[in-house]
Amino acid sequence: MTAIHLENLSKSFGAFTALKGMNLDIADGEFVALLGPSGCGKSTTMNMISGLLEPSEGSIRFGERDMRGVPMGRRGVGFVFQNYAIFTHMSVYDNLAYGLKATGVAKAERDRRVKDMAEFLHLTPMLNKPSAGLSVNILQRLAIGRSAIMEPAIFLLDEPLSNVDAAFRAVMRTELKHLQRQFRQTMVYVTHDQLEAMTMADRIAVMDHGKLLQVGTPIDVYNNPSNVFVAGFLGSPGMNLLKGMIVRTDLGMRADLGDAGLSAPLSSAQEKSVSDGQAIVYGFRPEHCQLTGDDGIRLPVTFVERIGARTILHLGNKGASIKGVFDNDVVARSGEIVTLSIDHANIRLFDAGSGDAIVEAR
Amino acid sequence: MNRSLPFEIFRYAAILSLVALSLVPTLWMASMAFKPIAEWSATGADLTWWPKSPTLDNFRFLFGESSSELIVALDRTAGQPILSSLLSAVFGTLIAMISGTSAAYGLSRFGSGGNLPLALIQLRIFPPMAVMIPVMIMWAFLGLIDTWYGLALVYGIVTMPFAFWLMKTFFDDMPREIEDAALVEGCSRLRVFWKITLPMMRPALASSALFVFILNWSDYLIALLLTTRDWVTIPVYMASLSSSMTGQLYGAKAALGLIAAIPPVILGIAIQKHLVRGLTFGALKQ
Repeated sequence: MTAIHLENLSKSFGAFTALKGMNLDIADGEFVALLGPSGCGKSTTMNMISGLLEPSEGSIRFGERDMRGVPMGRRGVGFVFQNYAIFTHMSVYDNLAYGLKATGVAKAERDRRVKDMAEFLHLTPMLNKPSAGLSVNILQRLAIGRSAIMEPAIFLLDEPLSNVDAAFRAVMRTELKHLQRQFRQTMVYVTHDQLEAMTMADRIAVMDHGKLLQVGTPIDVYNNPSNVFVAGFLGSPGMNLLKGMIVRTDLGMRADLGDAGLSAPLSSAQEKSVSDGQAIVYGFRPEHCQLTGDDGIRLPVTFVERIGARTILHLGNKGASIKGVFDNDVVARSGEIVTLSIDHANIRLFDAGSGDAIVEAR
Repeated sequence: MNRSLPFEIFRYAAILSLVALSLVPTLWMASMAFKPIAEWSATGADLTWWPKSPTLDNFRFLFGESSSELIVALDRTAGQPILSSLLSAVFGTLIAMISGTSAAYGLSRFGSGGNLPLALIQLRIFPPMAVMIPVMIMWAFLGLIDTWYGLALVYGIVTMPFAFWLMKTFFDDMPREIEDAALVEGCSRLRVFWKITLPMMRPALASSALFVFILNWSDYLIALLLTTRDWVTIPVYMASLSSSMTGQLYGAKAALGLIAAIPPVILGIAIQKHLVRGLTFGALKQ
């Protein structure tokens, strides 16, 4: 009943197309994160689901019900805004009770639900305080509570944690997950923070420039990005991407990576899926390279960044720039030339023209 | 704050002299209101800051008690003009605020109204005289000359653009998300406007209303043209306070000026909390 189906959904503002041809099915009770940089169309998608915006094309269905023309008050969705949108002229209690009052819930029932929600979100001590002077962290809790108290079948959150401090963000990630387990809503969560998406969502939908690029479980999207954008966007630092060309050598096919040198020979599966002279993008995760290689990418170390738990080496010369993540006791000095070895299973090849992943032949 | 003492002295002296400069006329008026004729008229040989023999004669005179010293008697007291000013300014402000706020909300939220914002300004583009003469003829035709409601109507029309522009800026600054949040929770548009938007706009409404009220309250020209006798306002009445015997009745004028200063001051104090606090909409990140 509360599954969400987006079919060929598009939205244009005048000449600007914010979203084109989005297809996504969100199952009942699923937690889906829409992830992408600002301006990728994720908030537009969210606003259309909530009814704040009408789609230019395509359809939105909740279960079997077409939502075209249904006003947002009757869609049964809860919406948490990035800037909280707290009614500052009211107390915390009145903010929580607002929606229940507007929809005519009896006073006794209202009172019980407000107190339950306040208890759940640790808002009880400030129930009767005016909401105007509260801290950002509490305002965000209040905003979530005000939506959740309506027990919406679909819960939409638009970057709810982008303004709160890092420590509180970690707390709220757990609490939101807890909230969803308790109320079993279908959750759509818009964020540009991959950590939030990776840790909370059942599935991630990565978007860019108004297009849905890839949908999948966090680990699947991380391990098998469907194109160059997803590869570079996910991970911190993102996947290393080097432009190159396939060349045939005595030891099999390799990628000529220009200033980064020749790659180690490709696996036989990879060889079958590319052709001699094909322009490709050679990708691998920074945490998947070792300094033990004798044949492969050779680059000088430009900068050693020790971040505590691990050490990031910046490698590169004028035409190529990559990063490698190593143990914190790695021995490396700026200027030293190193050879990287990367396991075949961790190498991802993309077509340079389309940017799409090259599927390995079996 | 470890500035040197001479600097501090200089700073305060500069501030005080500027404050004094702007307050001198007001203080002089206040002092003059309590002086007997001998002290404010040309016959009084020396002018002093403090009344030598303070008196309430000027106020008594305004409200009909004839004075032996002045020899003149007023043909009417200040009571009716004060009532006229209050009625026309208050209702004019109400008209301007209600219509201006509604128009501003509609335009800010729905973008309807096309060129209305500019159309509203055009009333202020022409010199007041050019606008007022035709209005005078229309009002005469409608039988609105020398009535407080006729005056209030013009005040409402003339100050509405100010109310509109002020309120529109405030509405534009108020984030839409706050209304959207209430709409998503099942509120009707109208209910959102009454229960969320207007209460949050209280400071904006207060400061706009004060501004519009002061404009209406201090008008002279419009009242001069549109009232003749029964409903003249304080400024027009004040101008008539003179006699052929004594010339300008400065004492009475000062007393009336002091009375006229009361409503804006009271209003200002009443909404000072809102003016100082400014606008904090919905606790948003900036």
